[in-house]
Amino acid sequence: MNRYTKGTAVTEILLLVLAAIFLIPIYYLVITTFKTPADAVSHPMGLPVNITIANYVSAFKAMNYFHVLGNNLIITISSVAGIVMLSAMAAYSLVRRTNHFNRIVFLLFMVGMMVPYQMGIVALYKQVSQLGLMNSHTGVILIEICYNLPFSIFLIKSFIGSTVPFELEEAARVDGCGVWRTFFQIVFPLLMPVIATVAILNTLGVWNDFMTPLLFLQSRSKGVLLLEVFRNIGQFSTDWTSFFPMMLLAVAPLILFYIFMQKYIINGITSGSLKG
Amino acid sequence: MNKPNIFKREINYVLFLLPALLIYCTFFIFPTIKTALYSFTNWSDVHPVVVKFVGIDNYIALFKDSLYMTGIKNTLIYAVLAMLGQNLLAIPLAVFLNKRLKTKNLLRAAFFLPAVFSVLVIGFLWNFMYSPSDFGLINQFVVALGFERINFLGDPHLALYSVIFASVWQWVGYTMVIYLANLQSISTDYYEAAKIDRASGWQMFRYITLPLLLPAITFNTVMGMINGMKVFDIVYALTGGGPGYSTETIVSLMIKKGLSDGFYSYGAAFGIVFVILVGIITFIHISLIKMWERR
Repeated sequence: MNRYTKGTAVTEILLLVLAAIFLIPIYYLVITTFKTPADAVSHPMGLPVNITIANYVSAFKAMNYFHVLGNNLIITISSVAGIVMLSAMAAYSLVRRTNHFNRIVFLLFMVGMMVPYQMGIVALYKQVSQLGLMNSHTGVILIEICYNLPFSIFLIKSFIGSTVPFELEEAARVDGCGVWRTFFQIVFPLLMPVIATVAILNTLGVWNDFMTPLLFLQSRSKGVLLLEVFRNIGQFSTDWTSFFPMMLLAVAPLILFYIFMQKYIINGITSGSLKG
Repeated sequence: MNKPNIFKREINYVLFLLPALLIYCTFFIFPTIKTALYSFTNWSDVHPVVVKFVGIDNYIALFKDSLYMTGIKNTLIYAVLAMLGQNLLAIPLAVFLNKRLKTKNLLRAAFFLPAVFSVLVIGFLWNFMYSPSDFGLINQFVVALGFERINFLGDPHLALYSVIFASVWQWVGYTMVIYLANLQSISTDYYEAAKIDRASGWQMFRYITLPLLLPAITFNTVMGMINGMKVFDIVYALTGGGPGYSTETIVSLMIKKGLSDGFYSYGAAFGIVFVILVGIITFIHISLIKMWERR
């Protein structure tokens, strides 16, 4: 088991070949961003003959990239911050108080984990317009927070229940420390491992969510990167290699996030699914 | 401690819960209840003001409409095949990656990479690759090998399976990573003992690995199935529901008919049918896993 045998070496080589084949679509996406349409048709898999950055120039312009990226950052950061804060506070209350009301509330949150929110899309649409939140970042942020609360509360609740010692809080209480201070100064810092999991999962989820902005952000100046990709596909049907950088640019910040935080992302995903 | 202090403490605990609960009720609980109510009315763009109670008429109409039934059928085919595809490929992949490889982390990162990309982007990328025109990458290979061009997304008998293939490609690494984490938690003692008993590789997999993988199998298949039932983005980017209605799914129909075309009460009834369907399937699914667990 512990030796590097010939068999393992063969497995390793085969897996590397498999991974290379598996990643062809990504390779194709990246190299095509530097090609002209003619170049891409004549040798789709080859490296670009004359590297052109014209595709990127037109993509940045067509997407109004930095403005829209700003919208993405506002929505993702606010939503994730909101999810982390609200679910940590709610989970704390649900662990430390197990009266009837809290038990019912917890059950209600668990229903949200089972029921796909898409079912109520018609009523939600009406609700959002009645509240005057249509076509606003606030509306999208609140929706993102709402639909990511159940799973986040579930994860944080089981973490508090299993790892945060109640004795610590007792001691603080004896010293005259109130609920708010106990939570923010003692409990919250102890939650960092699970907060990291929740933050990572939700960053990926919110950034990559297409349906919410599609339904609730109509004006182009408020849109997100995925909406720009979606809106531009028709206009770039002839100049299609100019469309490729848009696909890459829409997820570029996430790819950077992945490259630097790969270990944490994978740990976050596995602990989110197996420990939960 | 005196009474007012205890009271204040309890109030604070409630205040902790309140913001989350308020948002959750506004955007989930109330819309859900309203959906149920709408589904028994005739509310639509045709009847925007005078809304009448119509009993289960919407539900009857839904089940008589072949379009909605096609949507349900497509969604079920998608969910089952995508879930099976992901898991049947991810388990062996994870078992191989769990060996003492030198490039284990690199391989894991490579297979996981597509999961970081947004579903919409993956959909558009495969849309280009599947294309039957000159630049379609896959068809260039097909032609080079001497076959006829394949119209992956334009052929109504093929389109849904092309969508499923792209989706399995995107999520197999994600699923594999979860299996891998589960495998790493299995003690090597079991395998040492099995080796002394001269168990074959397959026997070890069948009688040690597979049963101990149950937590990951449960999570991956149940979530895979539920996520499959919710499918929308990938279909939207690849086919837009076409050709004809051959790749229309539950959620895509709910948005098209229920929102864009203004059949609100219809959309609401379809939403309720959707939830009941997901509930029944999840229940059967978990019961099957429990049965297997007991064996």
